[in-house]
Amino acid sequence: MPSLTDRAWSPYFAGILIGLLQIPAFLLLDTALGTSSSYVTVGASLAAFADPGLAAMDYAAKHLSGAKNWWQVAVVAGIALGALLSARLSGMRRHGISPVWTRALGSPSTARRFALAFAAGFIMLAGARIADGCTSGHGISGMAQLAVGSILAVTAMFAGGIATAFLLRRV
Amino acid sequence: MSVLAAIAIGLAMGAVFGLALEKSRVFEPGVILGQMQLRNFLMLKIFLTAVTTGLLVLAVLNGLGLAKLHPKATLYGADLLGGLLLGIGIALAGACPGTVAAQIGAGYRDAWFTLAGGLLGATAFAYAEPVLKPLLLTGGPGRITLAHVTGLPFWPLALGFAALLVAGLVALERWRPWRAEIGPAADGLLPQAPPAGAEPLTGLRAAG
Repeated sequence: MPSLTDRAWSPYFAGILIGLLQIPAFLLLDTALGTSSSYVTVGASLAAFADPGLAAMDYAAKHLSGAKNWWQVAVVAGIALGALLSARLSGMRRHGISPVWTRALGSPSTARRFALAFAAGFIMLAGARIADGCTSGHGISGMAQLAVGSILAVTAMFAGGIATAFLLRRV
Repeated sequence: MSVLAAIAIGLAMGAVFGLALEKSRVFEPGVILGQMQLRNFLMLKIFLTAVTTGLLVLAVLNGLGLAKLHPKATLYGADLLGGLLLGIGIALAGACPGTVAAQIGAGYRDAWFTLAGGLLGATAFAYAEPVLKPLLLTGGPGRITLAHVTGLPFWPLALGFAALLVAGLVALERWRPWRAEIGPAADGLLPQAPPAGAEPLTGLRAAG
């Protein structure tokens, strides 16, 4: 039986656990599991301090209030807490950056990695918002509903990811 | 439901999600980049297992009339372009929008920059949305699923796809056993083959 102090669990056990989260999502919240629209909720909430006009724009306004939007923000915050707890219990807390970046970028520079991470986050969320979903909303949830757009978006996501990854050094 | 109750449920669900992401090691940039370079298939295993479980859950909940489905609207241009950008971002971030939070929880420093870039990207989209709407975000066939396309009820289709995915996962596990993909430091990094002409690294060979 998997234990909280294990370093690693079977991907199949973890995948089943994630898939079962659809039960409370659909029965309690009447929505599917997702994470990327929470970036609009938090980003637009912060930006609205500097630019109150943003809150009057349709798209931002739809994300700023309501139980489902803040539920999703809480899910993402909960992910950080769950990972923190899990890493502490197994003695697997991480520091600095992953050694994969020295391999992939050919440089151990953290400044370079931080700049790339920022740009990557921007592209990732711009893409997720254009597609209206990410690996969770389109991937885990959209594919589980056999949604045509989600199957397309996930195919494009892997195509873009694989093409980009092959431009980096082999890890 | 009150916002506070929704937040409490969200935190609890997120904690389980984060635990599963950390324990499965799929939050590791090495696992995600390894998947995109087709060297490590842990991400696909977790992803397809979660999809399969979701198909079974929704076949039951929807089949018994306990839950309505919430498929997203199909917009061909937006799904393809957005998906492509999302994939480019995932490869360079070594993270997805959800696993960024797990990286922060586990302690990776660069994840804070991915998060900040993501918040800015999502906010930029909120500003650009009125311009993009007529170009990319309108039209399309609506919230269609394969059930609409085939004219079959959702639950038998979902069970059929779940069975196909299980068969695929069994084959994937036979081809690449998951225990060999975790890596010595549990970060998905596998020993690299020594460059041609180099001294053989016996330690790495033994670990591999």
